[in-house]
Amino acid sequence: MLIDRTQRGWGLASLGIFAAALVMYFLEVSISPQGPRGGSAIGLIFGVLGFGFMIFAAALGARKRVPTWRVGRAKAWMRGHLWLGLLSLPLILFHGGFHFGGTLTRVLMWLLIVTVASGVYGALLQNFIPKKMTADIPLETIYDEISHVRGLLREEADRAVESICGDVGLAKDVSGKIQRAGGFTALRPIAASAAPLRTSAAVSAGASAAVAPAAEIILLSETESAPLRKFYIEEMRPFLEQSKSRGSLLADEARASSIFTGLRTLLPAAAHNTSSDLEDICDEARQLLRQERLHRWLHGWLLLHIPLSLALILLGAVHAVMALRY
Amino acid sequence: MARTRTTKTVAQRIDLNYFKRPTPFKRAKLWLAILAPAIALVWIGWHVLGRDNRVYSSGRLSEAHAVLEKECAACHVQQAGGYSAAAADSACLACHDGPVHHATNVSVKLACAECHVEHRRRVNLAATKNESCAQCHGDLSPAGRDSKYFKHIRTFADGHPEFAALRSAAGTSASDSGTIKLNHALHLRLIRRGPSGPMVQLDCSHCHRTTASQSMDWPYGDARYAAAAPTYNGKDEFREVNSRGLTARTPASGRELIAPPKFANACAGCHLLTFDTRFDEGVPHDIPQVIHEYLVRRFAKYIATHPAELREAQNPLRNLAGRENRPATRSVSGAQWVAERVAVSEELLWHKTCAQCHAVSASTLQDVRIARWDTGKSSDQKSPSVSLAVLELAATERLLPEIANANITLQWLPHSRFDHDAHRGFSCSGCHQNALTSTETSDILIPGIATCQKCHAEGSDRAESRCFECHTYHDWAKRKEAKPTFTLPALRSTGK
Repeated sequence: MLIDRTQRGWGLASLGIFAAALVMYFLEVSISPQGPRGGSAIGLIFGVLGFGFMIFAAALGARKRVPTWRVGRAKAWMRGHLWLGLLSLPLILFHGGFHFGGTLTRVLMWLLIVTVASGVYGALLQNFIPKKMTADIPLETIYDEISHVRGLLREEADRAVESICGDVGLAKDVSGKIQRAGGFTALRPIAASAAPLRTSAAVSAGASAAVAPAAEIILLSETESAPLRKFYIEEMRPFLEQSKSRGSLLADEARASSIFTGLRTLLPAAAHNTSSDLEDICDEARQLLRQERLHRWLHGWLLLHIPLSLALILLGAVHAVMALRY
Repeated sequence: MARTRTTKTVAQRIDLNYFKRPTPFKRAKLWLAILAPAIALVWIGWHVLGRDNRVYSSGRLSEAHAVLEKECAACHVQQAGGYSAAAADSACLACHDGPVHHATNVSVKLACAECHVEHRRRVNLAATKNESCAQCHGDLSPAGRDSKYFKHIRTFADGHPEFAALRSAAGTSASDSGTIKLNHALHLRLIRRGPSGPMVQLDCSHCHRTTASQSMDWPYGDARYAAAAPTYNGKDEFREVNSRGLTARTPASGRELIAPPKFANACAGCHLLTFDTRFDEGVPHDIPQVIHEYLVRRFAKYIATHPAELREAQNPLRNLAGRENRPATRSVSGAQWVAERVAVSEELLWHKTCAQCHAVSASTLQDVRIARWDTGKSSDQKSPSVSLAVLELAATERLLPEIANANITLQWLPHSRFDHDAHRGFSCSGCHQNALTSTETSDILIPGIATCQKCHAEGSDRAESRCFECHTYHDWAKRKEAKPTFTLPALRSTGK
């Protein structure tokens, strides 16, 4: 969620609550010879409010799980989660008088700190990573489908290479029988070969390839195709197969461009189009890798934030009951 | 031909039900969301099953109560089926008394836990906050308008007055009421030990030591005087103190206060109480009556073994010009000789030796003719050369002087505790700077509050400055013994 002008109302309200809490805290400090305590009237108010805000923030998860609930707008829930969750930290610090107390309260305090800190971190990341993703990754796809799309790219590249080098025994179908968007039940290659199919889908999409005249199919000799064959098997295919870009020359855009330029000098002119297609596939695969990396940054903090917040709510409830008992 | 990429073709790559398939990230999120609360639940359950309530505690108990760490009910006593959130006073008083503080002046009844806050880790529970004391002492006006105490004391630095002993009253500066004449500045310079002794440099510990250190060797003391039991008592020596602070909880170790210097330990090595050239030893350091009896006894014993001295020939060298001729010899009885020698010795003692340090009063000078060669008497005259009446008078107590009470102040800060032993790492003159320049007995040489505040102030690099450091709240003189509550080893397993 973007922290922008639309958050002003929530921001000001939170600031007001924080200011009021601060005044109350200093009032308690001034009237309590031994300093503020969680068991005092004001301390209990802080505790109840802080825990209430935590529960509200945690309820966002339930609200997301059941989107059909008509309890406020999702945006309002998200803003409440952000601002009230943030407010819970100072309120609980006031509740404990900035003392971490015993074992349970100490665990609770650290859980709260880590949960709030990870939430703030996530909120900050969400303010600039999506923008960066839009700018840097024009070929972005759905994160969950990245590994599958990478397989399709590899298949496409295999076919492109085999179309001019002959069978090198690489092509494998990864599509399977799955329901796909676009009204097809089976994958149609984007540019499966140098001679594309005139499919109804291609025609309706108005793709230039679909209306272009069929190109001449050229099969390179063993000697001519050797550089491409070697490059593809040793460099490009491993790059398309692996989910991590580390160590591959093709992971770097400038170096990849340089490699493909060099490759084209070794290949006959008839193979240059295929070489360009391979470069294009590499570029898309590189973008998907980058998307994966950014996605991990963008959502990785949730692996900490959600479990800890659930533990916090559970232990907080135990603390509330036992603290009132003793 | 070039590779093309359309919305349609891109869409074809996507599985419509992709969101139904668990991805590694989703799976990790789900498992962690289950695992973290489960771990928390197991952790709490473990303590519940083990009946270990420490986990709910709001903090570790103080050092004194550490043994009760598991026994919440020992302090949070059961009331109406539940436990009290605050520790009850009755639970505290079941183990130890907490005598009241200025019972007549205290306007509010404070609960134990209001000052002694538990669950603040291994702290000293007696180390209460200044705010606890300042609840009343910050503004004593409502409690007692006529209170002699300062009415607005909040901290050592805020409102605490100068020590009472150093405060001027009614326009007069504070002074020491002690009567022993002592020039500190003189004694702290390089001085000669006795009329013909070596030069010595005294330091404070040669005369001033704590009560517990009195048995150590005194370089300027005299073992014979130290072994003697003088007849004067504390009333003659020390100032009566009307105002006393509350009794402390722990007994004194004897190393807190500096004991008043004793003649036997600190003075006898240099200030000899010799009275006659015939004897090496001095008179006892005691009241005049004892000294007089000693002199009579000593001279009588001497003359019994030296009868030749009853007949004395005049020393022509001592015949002053212009004076009438005196007889060449004279003889006196033993009693007369003793009376004469005693009178001469006492004149020396009362007017010089004793008076050097003590305020000696009601001492009339003896007849100067005592023990001198009188005029107009024959050399063979057996009668005393001095008036018998004078000698008789000299032998009575009426002519003996009175030595003023020393009036030494034992404790300059009676309403607080000061521990010299805790400050043993510091030189005396660092705090008692006035001692180096003091020439008058009336000078008060304890340091002022500003000296203490140089170290005792707020801040992590300063010494403790809270009220409890010097003052006590409970009057432990009124302490009542409590009945035992716990039993070992049962406490370790059940709590009782």
